[in-house]
Amino acid sequence: MIDNLLLGFQTALTPENLLWCFIGVLMGTIIGLMPGLGSTTGVAILIPLTLTLEPVTALIMLAGIYYGAQYGGTITSVLISTPGEAASVVTTLDGYQMARKGRAGAALAISAIGSFVAAIISLALLMALAPPLADLALNFGPVENLAIMILGLVIVVSFAGGSMARGLMMAAAGLLISTVGVATGFSDARFTFGNIDLLGGIPFVEVMIGIFAVGEVLYQIRIGAAEPIKARFRDMLITKDELKRSAGPIVRGSGIGFALGILPGAGSTLASFMSYGIEKKVSKNRRLFGKGAIEGVAAPESANNAAANANFVPTLALGIPGGGTTAVLLGAFTIYGLQPGPLLFETQPTLVWGLLVSFFIGNVLLLILNLPLAPVFAQMLRIPYGFLYPIILLTSFIGAYAVSNNMFSVVLVLIFGLLGYVMKELDMPVAPLVLGLVLGPLFEKALVQTSALGQGDFSIMLESPISVVILALALLMGVGPMLLGRLRVARRSRRSVTESEKVDV
Amino acid sequence: MESPRLQVAGIAFTAVLAAVGAAAVVGGLGYGAVDDAGLVGPGFMPIFAGGLMLIFALIDIMQRVRHTVVANRDAKLALDTSSFEALEHELEDETKLDVDIFGRSQRFRNRQLVAVIGILVVTLLLVNVLGFILAFGLMLVAIAVLVERRAWLSSVIVSVVALAAAYLIFGVFLRVPLPQGLLGIL
Repeated sequence: MIDNLLLGFQTALTPENLLWCFIGVLMGTIIGLMPGLGSTTGVAILIPLTLTLEPVTALIMLAGIYYGAQYGGTITSVLISTPGEAASVVTTLDGYQMARKGRAGAALAISAIGSFVAAIISLALLMALAPPLADLALNFGPVENLAIMILGLVIVVSFAGGSMARGLMMAAAGLLISTVGVATGFSDARFTFGNIDLLGGIPFVEVMIGIFAVGEVLYQIRIGAAEPIKARFRDMLITKDELKRSAGPIVRGSGIGFALGILPGAGSTLASFMSYGIEKKVSKNRRLFGKGAIEGVAAPESANNAAANANFVPTLALGIPGGGTTAVLLGAFTIYGLQPGPLLFETQPTLVWGLLVSFFIGNVLLLILNLPLAPVFAQMLRIPYGFLYPIILLTSFIGAYAVSNNMFSVVLVLIFGLLGYVMKELDMPVAPLVLGLVLGPLFEKALVQTSALGQGDFSIMLESPISVVILALALLMGVGPMLLGRLRVARRSRRSVTESEKVDV
Repeated sequence: MESPRLQVAGIAFTAVLAAVGAAAVVGGLGYGAVDDAGLVGPGFMPIFAGGLMLIFALIDIMQRVRHTVVANRDAKLALDTSSFEALEHELEDETKLDVDIFGRSQRFRNRQLVAVIGILVVTLLLVNVLGFILAFGLMLVAIAVLVERRAWLSSVIVSVVALAAAYLIFGVFLRVPLPQGLLGIL
């Protein structure tokens, strides 16, 4: 462990990696800050820029964007009540109310502190948990892998929020998109309709750029913008009382965030909602929630940061993305010719530990950047979106071209941009689609191998104890929330008949 | 609350997905779900994914239709861990104010959206003729002048600067062979 940490520090502390880590977290903060530019979008459109870097340097920067955006997303939530990041949606509730009462600075400060504490706690857990998990996963054969894929898909769907049917439908759509082209293990070209460009399949960086960057721009154009509230330097001071009130929520938020983030498919957005909901139930000041309670900022902001780090547990140890952004990062791994998964810890220790240690450094940089400078970053909110989105569009298309050197990619970005816009407008969950797309080829490979092992008989999945445990967990995850929902509906409908609608999540 | 038009659009979109799912099942059957030895074949995944899509799209349509009927008695729900949806709607309502800080109405913004999509399509078509850089340069100017109604001169200057930066990063630094089109200038 000590050796690994030393190796990590040696890698992360080279001037070059330190510089790119700084650039990553700085850009992440700015990207998270911009409404309509989230971490997934940011990572997707900036992958092409890292093509000439060393893989470890590139990943350090891209990961920096990811957790940097968690800090930046808060600033917009607090100042203009528009979440810069999906994971900061709940922060708008109390953060914006605090800002209206002149406590914007305190809200920003507590979220920076909460995020930092959560990051350190979750990183320690990540470093402790990922390697043994990877060790365990080394013994996994196709049977266990298939079970994990099933677990991943179930979690994606059950935690996607909104309607279960819609989530499943979009996950299936993602799986289906992944079948286009010539699959590994088969010689047939599927759903290519004679188009040569489709033989290689639909590459997912293009899909991500389309859905998250172009789709989001189109959606934002229709929504319009809100007026920012100013935050001044001297407002950044928070009182002792506020700090004391936040300690509990920060620790609980970190725990909830990590527990949820570690599950493949459950992202930081869910974690932030969850921790807010729990604080609202346990807090002494629960009646202040929604009116500017600092607990309502501290808890979700700690949770989303802890979840962002925890997302790397399944991503690095199993090669299964924890959420949307880690799915894009997984794509970046493959662009550099790295195969994410349990072997990564053995074959690329420098890369893995360098990356993990860079999270520590990055979060320290973010705390230093965010505590005094949040008001400065907030100035960026003055850049009108009208100037911003043409540049986002340009970067999206040129970036897509740079990854593949093919105009077909550019066309795909536009097509998926339109699809992404329609999905947002119609309230269709995007994350299941993306994860379905990423998991599709892995799922099919595990499926084919398992069927070969069992000579067409899938009951061999029930012969491996590990696979049985994972499948049982999947069943629990899939049916559990539904049963809980039913129970709650039943209880509520007993209390009042009119309120029972809409709980069929 | 969703507008009736959005509700119809939602049902229509889901219906399209159902049709795609059904088509995928048919296509998958053509590829073969299992091979001669009874192992998973190339058609298995398309049938599996398409089938799931079809089933859940139909369920979603049913839910949407039912939702439309009961939509009017929608009470505000207290936040608890399971009512994300209600919360999100609440937030959406707040951001969907009719007039934004530039005093633009929803209708005007809808027209902007259509214009941007149109400009993007034309831009991609023009890449073959003008080349990547020139076509996207035109896109930047067109959006600034036609959509955002900014002055010609400042629009051109901002566009040229943005484009030069993009060209330096991608064309020069990353050496991406951007298509030059028929003109072959840039």
